[in-house]
Amino acid sequence: MNFFLEVVAGGLLAGVMYALVALGFVLIYKASGVFNFAQGSMVFFAALTFVSLTEKGWNFWLALAVTLAVMIVLGMLIERIVLRPLINQPPITLLMATIGLTFVLEGLSQLAFGSQPHGLELGIPDVPIEWLSEKWNISISQFDLFAAFVAGLLVLVLAVLFQKTRIGRALRAVADDHQAALAVGIPLQHIWTIVWAVAGCVALVAGMMWGVRNGVQYALTFTALKALPVLILGGFESIAGAIVGGLIIGASEKLAEVYIGPMVGGGIESWFAYVVALLFLLVRPEGLFGEKHIDRV
Amino acid sequence: MSERAAPGEVVLSVEGVSLAFGGVKALQDVSFDVRSREVRAIIGPNGAGKSSMLNVLNGVYHPQKGKIRFKQKEFVDMDSHEAAALGIARTFQNIALFKGMTVLDNIMTGRNLKMHCNIFQQALWVGAAKREELVHRRAVEEIIDFLEIQHIRRTPVGRLPYGLQKRVELGRALAAEPELMLLDEPMAGMNLEEKQDMCRFILDVNDHFGTTLVLIEHDMGVVMDISDRVVVLDYGRKIADGNPAEIKKDQKVIDAYLGVAH
Amino acid sequence: MALDIGTLDTFPKLLLHHARVRPSRPAIREKDLGIWQTRTWLEFADEVRALACGLAGAGLKRGEHFALVSDNRPRLYAMMYAVQCLGGIPVPLYQDAVAAEMAFPIQNAEIRFAFAEDQEQVDKLLEIMPQCPTLKHIVYDDPRGLRHYRQGELAGYDDLLAKGGEALKRDPAFLEAEIARGRGSDTAAMLFTSGTTATPKGVALTHHALIDRAKVAAELEKLGDSDVVLAYLPPAWVGQFIFSLAQPLVTGYCICCPEAPETVMTDMREIGPTYYFAPPRVLEALLTQVSIRMEDASRIKRWLYRRFMAVANRAGGAILDKRPVSIIDRALYFFGDVFIYGPLRNVLGMGRVRVAYTAGEAIGPDLFRFYRSIGINLKQLYGSTETSVFVCIQPDGQVKADTAGPPVPGVELKFTPERELLIRSPGLFKEYYKNPQATSEAKDAEGWFHTGDAGYFDPDGHLKIIDRVKDVGKLSDGTLFAPKYLENKLKFFPYIKEAVCFGHDRATVCAFINMDPDAVSNWAEKRNMPYSGYTDLASRDEVYDLVRGCIEQVNSDLASEPEIANSQIHRFLILHKELDADDGELTRTRKVRRRFIGERFDALVAAMYAGKDAVHVEAQVKYEDGRSGTFSADLKIRDAKTFAPAAAKKAA
Repeated sequence: MNFFLEVVAGGLLAGVMYALVALGFVLIYKASGVFNFAQGSMVFFAALTFVSLTEKGWNFWLALAVTLAVMIVLGMLIERIVLRPLINQPPITLLMATIGLTFVLEGLSQLAFGSQPHGLELGIPDVPIEWLSEKWNISISQFDLFAAFVAGLLVLVLAVLFQKTRIGRALRAVADDHQAALAVGIPLQHIWTIVWAVAGCVALVAGMMWGVRNGVQYALTFTALKALPVLILGGFESIAGAIVGGLIIGASEKLAEVYIGPMVGGGIESWFAYVVALLFLLVRPEGLFGEKHIDRV
Repeated sequence: MSERAAPGEVVLSVEGVSLAFGGVKALQDVSFDVRSREVRAIIGPNGAGKSSMLNVLNGVYHPQKGKIRFKQKEFVDMDSHEAAALGIARTFQNIALFKGMTVLDNIMTGRNLKMHCNIFQQALWVGAAKREELVHRRAVEEIIDFLEIQHIRRTPVGRLPYGLQKRVELGRALAAEPELMLLDEPMAGMNLEEKQDMCRFILDVNDHFGTTLVLIEHDMGVVMDISDRVVVLDYGRKIADGNPAEIKKDQKVIDAYLGVAH
Repeated sequence: MALDIGTLDTFPKLLLHHARVRPSRPAIREKDLGIWQTRTWLEFADEVRALACGLAGAGLKRGEHFALVSDNRPRLYAMMYAVQCLGGIPVPLYQDAVAAEMAFPIQNAEIRFAFAEDQEQVDKLLEIMPQCPTLKHIVYDDPRGLRHYRQGELAGYDDLLAKGGEALKRDPAFLEAEIARGRGSDTAAMLFTSGTTATPKGVALTHHALIDRAKVAAELEKLGDSDVVLAYLPPAWVGQFIFSLAQPLVTGYCICCPEAPETVMTDMREIGPTYYFAPPRVLEALLTQVSIRMEDASRIKRWLYRRFMAVANRAGGAILDKRPVSIIDRALYFFGDVFIYGPLRNVLGMGRVRVAYTAGEAIGPDLFRFYRSIGINLKQLYGSTETSVFVCIQPDGQVKADTAGPPVPGVELKFTPERELLIRSPGLFKEYYKNPQATSEAKDAEGWFHTGDAGYFDPDGHLKIIDRVKDVGKLSDGTLFAPKYLENKLKFFPYIKEAVCFGHDRATVCAFINMDPDAVSNWAEKRNMPYSGYTDLASRDEVYDLVRGCIEQVNSDLASEPEIANSQIHRFLILHKELDADDGELTRTRKVRRRFIGERFDALVAAMYAGKDAVHVEAQVKYEDGRSGTFSADLKIRDAKTFAPAAAKKAA
């Protein structure tokens, strides 16, 4: 039983990490209807920038602030250079543009900071919490818990921003109907800039957490692929969906690895999430929290 | 926003405006003025250029020729965002509401330009942002009360019947506390009772908030009862301008509506 | 909790009493601009005091009537109390009445002062001013749209309040003296009965009558100052008047005014009233809403709902009545309560209701049982404007779907030989205003009020009202025949839309049935029964069997009621056409015109009593497109099983 709990807890905490990446997708998809393929490279770019700055001997907070600023500027640039010229183009064009963006970002980051992997330390050791393992014989990483806390905080801030403020309302308005938003004097470009900047910040947080876990290296861009099943499960438009989806995927993945893995010879963790997502697509294509689309014939 | 114009003073003047799309002349040398606190109607048969005119006033289209002055200031190439900032709000013929958002949120977006807290204050939900939200919420509640839509406050707009959506859109325009409100066929597609309600609300808005109203309508009937002055367009030209009684007697107007060949 | 009335014999004295003993408890709430605004007893009493001084300044005299036209608003109630402070008599009028209907009360009581909620009501009053020369002052609450009105008669509530406030400061003793001059025997209010047949009559009720009845009922239900009431029915109706003026004064409970008529459901959910009243039509509408929502719900939810409603039907009422219930049902009911009934009560806004009443018209037993089965303590009561409402109330544990309960303490009841109910109670009205003839007809020398209602006591001593006395007839054996009672029982079945019963001066009862086309065609579709139209469907044997089932159920019910057991329905036919107001068969309010129908279809009636199995009809029919044609067919006549009366059964 203790082992089961440990697996579930470990899975849930890993799920939080997936959710962090998925969040960046949701933000941009909600506001502009674009599936941002480049979110993974943004995560990589953010983590690499941050780690390079700290390796140069910068103070942690200064490096964080500068990276944050860089991500915000990056968001603004993407809006100005990539999206604005493509206004009113079909979604597939925009998707293509973000794929292009992926390569640009990857190239750019390796050009600037080199391509060797970096280790990242935030001062929170990735070791089991002692009293938990002593008392209950469950090993849960201190860092995982910290990552979950950071993710929770981020979601809280985002939720308030979206639900309770003018900008959040403007974001939802833009997501609902571009034309109507323009008519009431909501500047579309302004909102998109904000969204991309916020997505950049989320990417930074995700990049830092993943960086500590796996090291800051090119493989970070693939975290984006981990987010895909989460999005399918949770729905592309819902922040809550990203969280719940992440948790479900994380937990089921770990459980499958431990309990089903041995039967098929192991190694199913890497693809099991897609199976879950596929099954889910059959039952509820709009995702757990997605908007139900009723097509009238 | 600057001081409001005194009642009766000219707030908006359109001078020799011409607009063409390619070879199609939508408006040709149209001039008229709008006085503060009046209800000014622009009517005309289908394709007369009414909507184009409204879109020019709102900065959606930019005329090739002519001038528009709003409160003594001339505007060249004003865009709709600027128009909103200057105190010009509008509604749309095909209702441009945020269907997935509640009535309350929809009307709150109308106050977007009046809220000033920056993104950091908002993200952290600090005192200033909270206070600002409450002040504006109160203003919006007064509009909800005014338009008698308390019962649908929390309903997503997409679920409301057409007549109520129109009313919500009026509410959103009103939330910006505009000096000038442009109404694009506010009564289109309504049944008689809904039309009467809408007329009452339009007159109430005019009376209670002192809003100057420009409305375009295809149907002559209702407009004549609520307008102070009427401009009649036909084939992009102004063919008459005056009070409803004069317009009703005007031979050119009668011909235009009956489709007499030119 | 029990309030000693003692010297507190008028409304204003009680109001000031609450301002003293519970100054900071909520007295009245109103949802305004999306927020519930509360006035405490002290604040409310202060507003009333200032307002009263304002009215005195405007010239309101003792004993003078004061008309009020408004929805439920704190200011309406403040105005009523203020009028009473000066010994004036508030006359609330129905706020949805048209202008012409308001003229009579104002002329009748020579009213000089009126209160109007908003522009709409002001317009109505201004419209009837030429017919009402006495009307000189109109106080309005909401100034919206009134800015350009120049009539000298108009004055704003706020102005009046401000002026009154100053006057109160200058001379606080004046008002105290005025309030002290009030006596329990003074008229506290005048409510006009809705005159469906004749001109309306102003029913004058004294402070003593209203306070006494309000107090007795409150004690019976153990109401206290923590109770909450939503005031959502017209204030001119005696029930609302009692619930939102008289009873708060004897208990100190808080009344809540909804934001707008359309928001009542939402407001009710937010407020969670503990004490609730609804006429059957409101309860019916609520149930329909629930049913529609369940139709749209997912399959699992629908299944759960049906399952647990069956449990509720079996056990809910008994649990509420504290009767024994099997342990399994009790457990099932517990789960149902957590997952279905509780949420359902919350959706209905009745999550906190301790006591709910329904009255006014007969309530369908299924409808009544539904509310009780989900744990809402819905009960019936009997009363009228003339009796200050409370005559009979069903006490907890003695609730039945078809009675009004035993008389409440202080009430004496008896029946005339014609079965008319007579009432003597401290709550009886003083008089019909300026109508001594009607007063003496309704209230005899010994103080008995003649209700005009016919009924009897059931074996448990509960009052049972069956019809108006003038509509009740006799079978040829001399026993009671109450056609409307039978027809109502039939109409509670979904398949029966209208019914017309015949039997006066005859040996047995026969009935015309109008099936409900929607319900019956639904029923027919479910069993794949093809039919070509209304008349075809109405002549089907299957439908006849369906209707006969309903009738036989009614008959078996009737058999257990000795007084009317002889009125069981022996024969029936299903009419080939829907009864229609356009053809004069129904009144405009959809009541059957029994005599007219009997004459029009006399051949059908005769055939039923002649024992025939069918009767030929030929009739002019008007089609919907305006054409008319002749219809001719044979209508079947069928017998229904009757049951031996219960008393006789026992003997046998």
